[in-house]
Amino acid sequence: MSDHHHPHDRPPNPYHQSARSPERDRELAERVAKLESLLAEKGLVDPKALDRLVEIYEHDLGPMNGAKVVARAWVDPEFKRRLLENATAAVAELGFGGLQGEHLVAVENTPKVHNVVVCTLCSCYPWPVLGLPPGWYKDAAYRSRVVIDPRGVLAEFGTTLDDDVEVRVWDSSAEVRYLVIPERPPGTEHMSEEQLAALVTRDAMIGVAKVAAP
Amino acid sequence: MTAERRARAEIADMQGLPRKSGELVFHADWERRAFAIAVSLAEQGMFPWSDFQRRLIEAVAEAERDDPLHPSRGYYESWLVALERVLEDKGLASLARAARAAVSPSPASQA
Repeated sequence: MSDHHHPHDRPPNPYHQSARSPERDRELAERVAKLESLLAEKGLVDPKALDRLVEIYEHDLGPMNGAKVVARAWVDPEFKRRLLENATAAVAELGFGGLQGEHLVAVENTPKVHNVVVCTLCSCYPWPVLGLPPGWYKDAAYRSRVVIDPRGVLAEFGTTLDDDVEVRVWDSSAEVRYLVIPERPPGTEHMSEEQLAALVTRDAMIGVAKVAAP
Repeated sequence: MTAERRARAEIADMQGLPRKSGELVFHADWERRAFAIAVSLAEQGMFPWSDFQRRLIEAVAEAERDDPLHPSRGYYESWLVALERVLEDKGLASLARAARAAVSPSPASQA
């Protein structure tokens, strides 16, 4: 069990290094604003609807949804069975679904198997249960290295695995997106489903971390 | 850009913005708008989401061709390029061109 704790105010990884000049940022802002106004003139987008959409993606979709799914799977073996069989249908039972949630596959961590998710080509990610991906998930460094050296990358996230643990790397695509069901930590037998959900982190559901005991 | 300016730009990026699990989801408001435009058009059925994803994969691969660790444009710049191309695919080329022409030439629009 990992007792490593990430300080979450700073990304724990050494990868993210995007930087744009203020001038370039201004140009891009103008280009997007112009595109939006041209689309709005044609009646193809509604700026107010865009505001609402951003609001939803920034606040309503996020790892808290996936955490509820994981907690339910921990307390309800029947639900877990359905989740492993057809994750899209199972998460819909909890009210989660939509764009990038189609063809969701849940993979379960066990004492002998650790799953980790990547999208080597771009940034496919199960939005309805995890929200939008973090910066490092979109960076080439993570996308290429986790395939070649998953243990090394996991170690950089503070996750060290015993040698006899099999690491499975799942490459998300436009067709399939993955959700890791982390192991339930010991000492949580008496916790409620809601309390359990609060333990589950985004990184654990991508598979770069474990769920720490409370 | 000098290292010092880059550092300053990054610090400006880090402050006062909402985060999810410690990292910023969007670094600038235009990223947020570009994201929302693509999702909104796909939700309305203007194009299948898979068409957009194909264009995004292409755009990301282009940006990473020379040096994957230092892509020639950021993720949401590639997102914007993909959005413009998908609109071009849908016969809205003039619209995408007009938006690009509205700003001074940049590496991405010259490509």
